[in-house]
Amino acid sequence: MTTSPEEQELKDRLSLIETMIAEGRQTTESWGWTFVLWGIAYYVAIAWSTWGHSNFAWPVTMIGTGILTGVVASRMTNRQPETTIGRAISAIWIGVGTSLFIFCLSASIAGRIDLQTFVAAVAAMLGAANAISSIILKWKGQFACALVWWASAAASCFSTSSQSSIIFLVAIFFGQIVFGVYMMFSEARERKTQTGNSGAAHA
Amino acid sequence: MPEPITEPTAESPAELPELNPIIHGKLRLALLSLLSTVEEAEFTWLRAKTNSTDGNLGAQLLKLEEAGYVAMEKKFVMRKPQTLYRMTESGRQALTDYVQALKQLLGSAINA
Repeated sequence: MTTSPEEQELKDRLSLIETMIAEGRQTTESWGWTFVLWGIAYYVAIAWSTWGHSNFAWPVTMIGTGILTGVVASRMTNRQPETTIGRAISAIWIGVGTSLFIFCLSASIAGRIDLQTFVAAVAAMLGAANAISSIILKWKGQFACALVWWASAAASCFSTSSQSSIIFLVAIFFGQIVFGVYMMFSEARERKTQTGNSGAAHA
Repeated sequence: MPEPITEPTAESPAELPELNPIIHGKLRLALLSLLSTVEEAEFTWLRAKTNSTDGNLGAQLLKLEEAGYVAMEKKFVMRKPQTLYRMTESGRQALTDYVQALKQLLGSAINA
């Protein structure tokens, strides 16, 4: 069966719409570095509060990292249009980030919360943020990251103080550093191949 | 790098009366499709995605703006000028109607 030129033109228009919608949804935003940066920031805050014995270790590190993230992100995403999904993801992380900041600041200044509870609360919040992001992005890799945080939150409730510290350090390594590096590789690969199959280069 | 999207030398709205001639232009259709996926987009982003020239892109965006399908806003972000475009409700409706008309015209040939 042959296709008339008019029919072919209409098909081309339909194909153009599909191609452009796919192009529009494909962003080149990179967020893997923020996971690595915040993972390092947690390690710095832990080391500072442990060996420096300072109540300001967490708030100062979190504020510094927050400012750094904001400055770098605004430069990187300056020319990217905002999508509904992008705004939803930003809303989750801004909301959870603010909750974490208020909690860490209050907990470290008050000094009335034991380490197990502190780790459980932080890990549960990070698990929630990763899980919601993964469901929005339909990205199983990030859901695995959420499971790591949730498992850490649960384990911390049944641990001693020193065990809870180790659990937190391991969770940061896998949930922030390893996942962040994996995300950066995924983003680079998808930018190279111009595909958006995983949540790394989000739709 | 995407293929440059250029306007055809002669559009044929007379042969395709059901299709909105403003949207039927290739570049204008590409622009509306792109804008349907984002809240707002910068001129430079649209230019990169369509691989078109400044003059052609500006002219086609003006036609869409005159038809009320897109809205333009100029602002300064960190002292740099930005020209932002977003799709209006009537633009979204017009694109939806256009796709419906295309599907009706193609009928069973759509999956051939």
